[in-house]
Amino acid sequence: MANIALAVLESALRDKKLDRTLTTALPPMEQPADACAQTGIAAVDACLRNGVPRGQLSELTGPRSAGSTTLLLQTMATATQRGELVALVDTFDRLDVASMAAAGADLGRVLWVRGQVGGPAEWAIDRAIKALNLVLQAGGFGLVAIDLADVPGAMLRRIPFTTWLRVQRAVEGRDTACVLVAPEPIARSAGGLTLTLTGRTSWTGSSARPRVAGAELNMRVVSPRRRVDGEVAMSASSYVAAGL
Amino acid sequence: MFGALYAAAGSDQAQLVEAAREFSPRIDVCGPREITLDLSGLTRLFGDARTIAGELRRTAADRGLQVRVAIAGSRTAARLLVRHRAGLTIVDPGDDAAALAPLPLELLLAVRSGGPSGPPGPDADNGNAEICASFRRWGLHTLGEVAALPPADVAARLGQAGVQWQRLARGDDPAPLVPAVPAERFEQALDLDWPIDGLEPLSFVLGRLMDPLSAHLERRDRGAAVLHVRLHLVSKAVHERSLELPVPMRDARTLRTLVLLDLESHPPAAAIDRVVVAVDPTPARVLQYSLLTRPLPSPEQVSTLMARLDALMGEGRCGAPALIDSWRPGAFSMAPFAPLEAPSGGREGGEGGEGKALVVALRRYRHAVPARVLVEDGRPARVTTERRGISGGRVEKSAGPWRTSGEWWLADGGTDNPWDRDEWDVTVSDGATYRLFRERDANAWFIDGVLD
Repeated sequence: MANIALAVLESALRDKKLDRTLTTALPPMEQPADACAQTGIAAVDACLRNGVPRGQLSELTGPRSAGSTTLLLQTMATATQRGELVALVDTFDRLDVASMAAAGADLGRVLWVRGQVGGPAEWAIDRAIKALNLVLQAGGFGLVAIDLADVPGAMLRRIPFTTWLRVQRAVEGRDTACVLVAPEPIARSAGGLTLTLTGRTSWTGSSARPRVAGAELNMRVVSPRRRVDGEVAMSASSYVAAGL
Repeated sequence: MFGALYAAAGSDQAQLVEAAREFSPRIDVCGPREITLDLSGLTRLFGDARTIAGELRRTAADRGLQVRVAIAGSRTAARLLVRHRAGLTIVDPGDDAAALAPLPLELLLAVRSGGPSGPPGPDADNGNAEICASFRRWGLHTLGEVAALPPADVAARLGQAGVQWQRLARGDDPAPLVPAVPAERFEQALDLDWPIDGLEPLSFVLGRLMDPLSAHLERRDRGAAVLHVRLHLVSKAVHERSLELPVPMRDARTLRTLVLLDLESHPPAAAIDRVVVAVDPTPARVLQYSLLTRPLPSPEQVSTLMARLDALMGEGRCGAPALIDSWRPGAFSMAPFAPLEAPSGGREGGEGGEGKALVVALRRYRHAVPARVLVEDGRPARVTTERRGISGGRVEKSAGPWRTSGEWWLADGGTDNPWDRDEWDVTVSDGATYRLFRERDANAWFIDGVLD
């Protein structure tokens, strides 16, 4: 009797096209390798079950020197090495090109959209979000990122939440992974990942002449909406320590 | 039946071409003063060959040209004869060899050096001169004598070049006539009944002009390399814009969008009376897609995206980053974003990352942030700044100074910006690690970036 009732309910949901929303909202455990953009860091990819999901809006969050930019540039570099195009909407023009090259990116496959520095921050954020939408609508990019890491939390929270819904709709069904870099989670996309990073700079050398050796980073999946959960510790080296 | 026109020195080639085109569309420009044309079928229109020759000469004279005319069974024979004899020369069908036989051998040099395929290089000229000299040494002076030689012996002694000379001496054409195609103009114009002001109405006008232009390009298998837009304004001024396209394209919607986006940034000063759109054509692209590599956005999509981004963010703010050969901290340049197809198998490459070393990235403040730095024992001890969002604080750990300077040798130019600074990496109390530098000239401190 219960089975019949369940079948009737499922049939009714199917008719209303609600079956997908209610029954298959979570992605399957086994996904094709192409469904995610790998970060290029084995431990992170293993934790995220193959990387950052395509067709979704994901977030990299954390305070200064937590490693968000390091992880973002590494993910972009890995995408370019796969032959994909990537785009970075750089709201406040913070990209250090040498850092991107050091991460191994093929710079010719990177579209860099540089925000204007000097004007009101709201104006720069507005332009950056419009540019993000243009890039997403154009299509053809494997990874598109917007850098809002230097936007104060209060200002971030003033951005209407519908903005992120629109971004999510723009990227949905596409072969593009969209990544938002911010000091705190703001988009909270249902299908994307929210990763929070913490870290500290590691030092080497004598106490009289210390130097930066790199950073000890820790990445944690905050929202296990995609059946992904866990925490990963990483070590990053400085330019000099990496021999670059 | 072929004819050749040979104009007097100083004649206008364009006029000569126009005169020839009045008789036949199948013409070949052999040199600045020489044209050959296919006269097949013209006897029904004009009469016999002599009449045609007379008409050719009269038509050229009407255009102010003094020409020699020769008509023969082959183009080569007509060219040899027109160079040798003034006035009108008519050779009856089948008499080419006989007409050519008394002509001097040196005529072939002129025909060989200014052939239909254009003048050959100096090496070929030297080779022709050598063959001519060889014939001279053998005691030959006329084309008839060369034509009478056994071809096998000529080939044995002079090779294929000698055989070609002998064929020319007989009046044989080395290749079929390839008609010269007149330069086509890809241009559309529209005079407006009422002046239009603003881009929205202009987009409809551009759409009406771009569609036939695109169809014309498609018919000729051409793409637009440069797009010219001329807007004649009611103020009698002409607003001209030229867009250099990254790749040949002919999609009407893309071209219209690119023009509109450009005009958004550079609007006309007054209402528009007349719109002219012209393109510089170039051979169209041939694309071969791969099943194995990820498809890239088409050049039309990339161009449109870049135009939209330029309009939004400002010119020069979007593109591909590029490193430049400089020790200046943060030096970079912007290159046009024109991605190439990835090598086959690229999708599978770059994955894994088992052995990949993670490198700490720097977030660089493009305009360095002025800071106040308290120095104790020669090292930064406290960092503070007025900039909102940068916390500063007590320095927990520091490394440096790393001294760097450059371009002081170019300083007198005024446009160059030399640098001379001591760099420090400092971790402040909130855990953030900044890169500071002290301008040695001004003894001023700045925050260059933050390691992230």
